[in-house]
Amino acid sequence: MTIMETRKHGDAADGMVGGRFSRLDGKLKTTGGATYALEQPVKNLVHAVLVQSTIAAGRVVAVDAAKAKAAPGVLSVFTPEDDLGLLVASDWFGNRPDNQPFHPLPREVSFNGQAIAAVVAETLEQATEAAKLVKVSYEETQSVTGLDDPDAGEGRLVDMLSVGWGDAEAAYAAADIKIEAEYRTPREYHVPIEPHGLTVKWEGDFLTVWEPSQWTHGMARTYAEWFDIPYENVRIVSPFIGGGFGSKAMGYTYSAVAAAAARKLGRPVKLAVTRPQTFTAYGGRAATRQTIRIGATKDGVLQAIVHRGASETSVFADFPEQTGAATPLLYAVPNLSTQHRLVPVNTVTPGALRAPGKNPSAFGLESAIEELSYAIGMDPLELRLRNYADHDYQSGKPWSTRQLREALTVGAEVFGWSRRSHEPRSMRDGRQLVGWGIGCGTFPVLKAASEALIRILGDGSVEVVSGAIDMGQGTYTILAQTAAEVLGVPAEQVDVKLGDSSLPGATVAGGSMLAGAITGAVHKAATAARDELIGLALNDSNSPFRDTGANTLVIADGRISVPRGEGPSLTLAELMSAIGRDRIETQRNTLPEGANGPEDHKRSWTTMANVQGPTAGDLSMHSWCAHFVEVKVDEDFGTVRVSRVVSAFDCGRIYNPKLAESQWRGGIIMGIGQALLEEGLIDERFGRVINNNMGDYLVPTNADIPHIQVISVGIPDNDASVLGGKGVGEVGIVGVAPAIANAVFHATGKRVRDLPITLEKLI
Amino acid sequence: MTRTIHLSLDINGKRHELDVEPRVTLLDALRESLALTGTKKGCDQGQCGACTCHVDGKRVLSCLTLAAQVEGRQITTIEGIAAENGDLHPVQAAFIENDAFQCGYCTPGQIMSAVACIREGHAGSEEEIREYMSGNLCRCGAYNSIVAAVREAASAVTTGIEAKDKVEVA
Repeated sequence: MTIMETRKHGDAADGMVGGRFSRLDGKLKTTGGATYALEQPVKNLVHAVLVQSTIAAGRVVAVDAAKAKAAPGVLSVFTPEDDLGLLVASDWFGNRPDNQPFHPLPREVSFNGQAIAAVVAETLEQATEAAKLVKVSYEETQSVTGLDDPDAGEGRLVDMLSVGWGDAEAAYAAADIKIEAEYRTPREYHVPIEPHGLTVKWEGDFLTVWEPSQWTHGMARTYAEWFDIPYENVRIVSPFIGGGFGSKAMGYTYSAVAAAAARKLGRPVKLAVTRPQTFTAYGGRAATRQTIRIGATKDGVLQAIVHRGASETSVFADFPEQTGAATPLLYAVPNLSTQHRLVPVNTVTPGALRAPGKNPSAFGLESAIEELSYAIGMDPLELRLRNYADHDYQSGKPWSTRQLREALTVGAEVFGWSRRSHEPRSMRDGRQLVGWGIGCGTFPVLKAASEALIRILGDGSVEVVSGAIDMGQGTYTILAQTAAEVLGVPAEQVDVKLGDSSLPGATVAGGSMLAGAITGAVHKAATAARDELIGLALNDSNSPFRDTGANTLVIADGRISVPRGEGPSLTLAELMSAIGRDRIETQRNTLPEGANGPEDHKRSWTTMANVQGPTAGDLSMHSWCAHFVEVKVDEDFGTVRVSRVVSAFDCGRIYNPKLAESQWRGGIIMGIGQALLEEGLIDERFGRVINNNMGDYLVPTNADIPHIQVISVGIPDNDASVLGGKGVGEVGIVGVAPAIANAVFHATGKRVRDLPITLEKLI
Repeated sequence: MTRTIHLSLDINGKRHELDVEPRVTLLDALRESLALTGTKKGCDQGQCGACTCHVDGKRVLSCLTLAAQVEGRQITTIEGIAAENGDLHPVQAAFIENDAFQCGYCTPGQIMSAVACIREGHAGSEEEIREYMSGNLCRCGAYNSIVAAVREAASAVTTGIEAKDKVEVA
């Protein structure tokens, strides 16, 4: 019944969706008006400060809190002695043990830096001071501090991560050219500039939590289960998140401590995790190692890949950092075998950090491919194109869209790859060695349902309402664009309300899937609102369109009119006034019919049980990219500078190139940090993270980063999402570290297989 | 009982009276006592730059500055750099136009550093901007756009100053 304007898609320089709009939340963020979780004005607030363990394994024998309790302003000290009366909550997929007690301040110590006590006082300074007075006695036991600990062992094979086809061992043994190498990545940390923490307030059995959240609905469920209260009683508020990168999608033990303390004390509690505490209050990326063997013909046709990987996890929970995640996807190979093992060590349970699995996996594979190119004597670009996968060998399914060839060829052209001389140490800039390298990246398209509410108000303005979040990806902005396109109004006429679990349900901002999911829901709700408005305009007795004889109307540039321009033309405000309406509201979700009841809603918005993987349908769907990197290496000092980056991306249709380019660059910059700077250093005696601060755990600064040219080579992929986009947020980091390692090899002739590439490895 | 002291702080051209302990930092005074939460706490150790403010026009890390140290001095925070009529400072406008942020948490510190960087005369080239903006970490990786925004704002500010000078000369 509605006529949709045809819009230019893909390059989309002039459309509404696809336009280079500045951020809707830009003014708030540049004026200090954006209010983050620890900045909410809550009255009668008290402050909690955590005390973390100083041993890696053992048991808390006693906590002497007498001095702390006697310190000025202290209200309470919580220790393992206190039963906070909590229950274990569901995991991400909705699985939950029955009535199992949850002790967020446990007596058993499983890693150095585990929360074991919390001090609550009237002011932050008083709580901080008193926390230093808490004396803990331990009974220590033997610990395993990392993958290289002699007691760590080989780990446990994770069967569900084993992938294979053909006979990889036999094909490798028979291959003309063979390479074999081990690649390693250290513990890495999210380091969002906003440290974690929360403000929490009880009103009877109702709980409000202001906490940075990549998933308001999922976290609301967690609190409800911890405290055994109805889901509806919990409200997570998170309009702005100061960076997440995977670390803010769940409630952690300190979250439970703060909420329990607030309930016991009958006062709102603010708990700010200190920067050093963030390194163990939740997990970063696990350390990994992987051995890759590749067999190929003399002219560079892959015959076999054999991959054996392992990652560390905690001694009490499994989180596999899947070193084989990218291995089966990038190239055509007739025989392949990958396996992954989990090695329990005394660490906080690792977590999801930007492109979990895919990232270290690509470091191994994309380094190995360039090692092969030197073993054969073939240009690494040519080797990649020669082994281009025309379909997904793992699932046997065709790709939905795969513009990786275009990414490689366009990227190479813009970078000037043809001017490269293949020999290591053959390019120089004065005293500096110059090296060029390539790294490809991939990230799966994950699909999930979401829900959105659209309001057309009496003044003609539009509101988009959802519990989805914006941690900087641009959700506010692209949802305004989506609604504006459907409703034919300027984007400036649209307001977007997000970040509150009491609003319509949305999937997690993780797995690069939120944009695809929530634009689909907004598009559907806005289309329904448009249909309703046009229906009213044609049928309402007071509408000037009623007697035009038109059977449909068009809305464009904020005006509603009869097609072909005959008859009345009204602004939305004029029409709303004429028909006597102060609002039109439509709420829609993208759940399938027949699975759209209250239980389906809860399962879809608060767990990941309904998330569809990249090969759930008949196709294999992924984002792709190719990075071209130039490094300059000072041979005397071993210092590496990234001097040039060109990266080409296939993320399908881009909803807002300005914002997508920012995310791609952000991923690339995090990849530069991973390649050259980032490494959690562990004291092998005590299992402590030594460099647990931003002066010692180095992340890239402005001076470390050259101009980065990013290019979109994607085409709309309507199997991947309603509007044709694929995931943008994570693929950008994948392949950066190997591109840099490859460039360093090209520059110096030295192959560094353990990240980061620090100067002592080059001199 | 904890001892408190009385302070009068001049912030963004306005006098604020507060009673705090002597150990309270300027950052915590702004955020916890004065509801000026635009200034961000990223590390509380002087490492990330998110808490950057101006004291007497010069950039300082408010997490390493005691509130009691800045009595009688002019403090400027992110809330105080737009014009009184609400017009954004050229640096703020350039940050929005160039998409020089994502999550927005380091942004107030970046902008306060950028304003000072231009004032110090350290925005002459991209290389110089990178160096003099390196005390402000951005984990979202908006560095390219920050450099572009500072360049653009620097030329706007410089042009503005020149225009003003010409008017005065005329």
